[in-house]
Amino acid sequence: MKKTPLYQWHTKNNANMSEFGSYLMPLWYPQGVKKEHCGVIESAGIFDTSHMAAVILEGGGCRDLLQKTFTKDLDHCLGPKKNPLHSGRCVYGIFLKESGQTLDDAIVYHVAGDRYMVVVNAGMGAALCTHLKKYQENLDVTITDLTDDLGKIDIQGPSSATILAEILEQPDQAFTKFVYFSFKGWFETDATESVMLKDGTPILLSRTGYTGEFGFEIFLRPDSLVDVWQMLLERGGDSIVPCGLAARDSLRAGAVLPLSHQDIGDWPFLNNPWIFALPFDEQGIFTKEFIGSEALQNNPSAPHTYAFAGFSPRKIPIGANSSVLDTAGNHLGDILTCTTDMAIERLGDNIISMASSRQDGKPENFKPKGLSCGFVKVKHEIPVGERVILTDGKHKVEVEIRKDVRPARSARKPLIEMMKK
Amino acid sequence: MKELEELNLPEDLVYTKDHEWARLEGEVVVVGISDYAQDQLGDIVFVELPEVGDSFEAGDEFGTLESVKAVSELYLPIGGEITAVNEELDDAPELINQDPYDGWIVKIKPNDPGDLDKLLDRNGYMGILKGDE
Repeated sequence: MKKTPLYQWHTKNNANMSEFGSYLMPLWYPQGVKKEHCGVIESAGIFDTSHMAAVILEGGGCRDLLQKTFTKDLDHCLGPKKNPLHSGRCVYGIFLKESGQTLDDAIVYHVAGDRYMVVVNAGMGAALCTHLKKYQENLDVTITDLTDDLGKIDIQGPSSATILAEILEQPDQAFTKFVYFSFKGWFETDATESVMLKDGTPILLSRTGYTGEFGFEIFLRPDSLVDVWQMLLERGGDSIVPCGLAARDSLRAGAVLPLSHQDIGDWPFLNNPWIFALPFDEQGIFTKEFIGSEALQNNPSAPHTYAFAGFSPRKIPIGANSSVLDTAGNHLGDILTCTTDMAIERLGDNIISMASSRQDGKPENFKPKGLSCGFVKVKHEIPVGERVILTDGKHKVEVEIRKDVRPARSARKPLIEMMKK
Repeated sequence: MKELEELNLPEDLVYTKDHEWARLEGEVVVVGISDYAQDQLGDIVFVELPEVGDSFEAGDEFGTLESVKAVSELYLPIGGEITAVNEELDDAPELINQDPYDGWIVKIKPNDPGDLDKLLDRNGYMGILKGDE
């Protein structure tokens, strides 16, 4: 079992540890997952995400190799005008197998010139390198797997920028023109455009995350990880809470973000809430060919994946006997994720979050009980708003097929607005 | 996660291998889950309670606990009739995490109060926990 450099900190602080992607990671700390989940919605949380893998691509053939293997069209991907990816920007997409099934989801960072960084899930660094080399042919690309050679801390929640500003050498400079899905700096000292912490640690600061909330991912050398983690906790004081994988899972499910190899996996990457990762033009035709594109274009029988929200915190454990039924009891498919978003509750026809405003209908002293949410994979199309039954063969829970789950998410809010939080 | 020596396991209760506790109060037996169980489960978000008047045999499933991590069945330590359920748990299931002995789940009128003697005392339960590790 692998450990991140923060392992000692986690165990010393009585985290409930569990295996994830061959790493021993914290599930939650003694304050409990509800405080962690709601802390990220109301102020800020930090997550040890050093189990994730980064791969560096260098050389004149990088862009061509990524265009061939990554679902996003890097020449048509930024903003409403679909501008080309340029240095300082990053995009979410998928690496597919030729069958159209998911190898992994990833964020591709254009570092500078002929240098890119690809961030994939725990344990996927080697698999991505093998996959890229398979399709490299004569392209000039040097592929370096940074698995376990790079640390990462995610700071997420509305107070992230004000807390981070406390440890940054030049926060004003770092936070200027810093839109969602952009990044600055590099985690080596040789960088031309650097972002430094007050103690001199160079970081790559990325305005991304996996919670649906405003925040950053901080990439840094593993030997700086524990110090930076502790600095953030000290500076954040009561506004910051260390968070484990359970809160990460419930936050991302409420934000309708997939967990790779659970919500996307060994079936065609189609008919799901994340097809924005595919390079469709306005007519719904792919703007480029890529590994897996042919399989996706000829797949009328591909299953459909939908987000759902329940009517209470009740959920169904996923196991051998779990399945999705229609209200008449007919089998429709499988439950992919089922968790509880603890920051939300239904009021009438609406879902209200702790982050919702009074105008949105949030009552005074709102103390949500939470709603079950997650994803189902079914054989046929189901209209949004329709109800289905989740069961483990023993218990039954009725849920609603939804386009979205947790309202009032902060991920895309302007940084300048969040500096006041 | 709590170390075994950090667990709060009162001497005046009896326990089951399924991590429930029971306490005789006059003619009724109060039932809940142990500190070990609440620590393992994490934040409890929902408690499914039986109806007052339901009857169960020892070892029967009488409800479920849903935590962020899992859905777990509750088993009755001794047979009897449910005389009260802790309705506070509907609104505040976290009471079990805060204090699993104050956060009781059901009260039962036992078929035979003598059955309590068949359950584990603190040392016996601790022995099971040590074996679990």
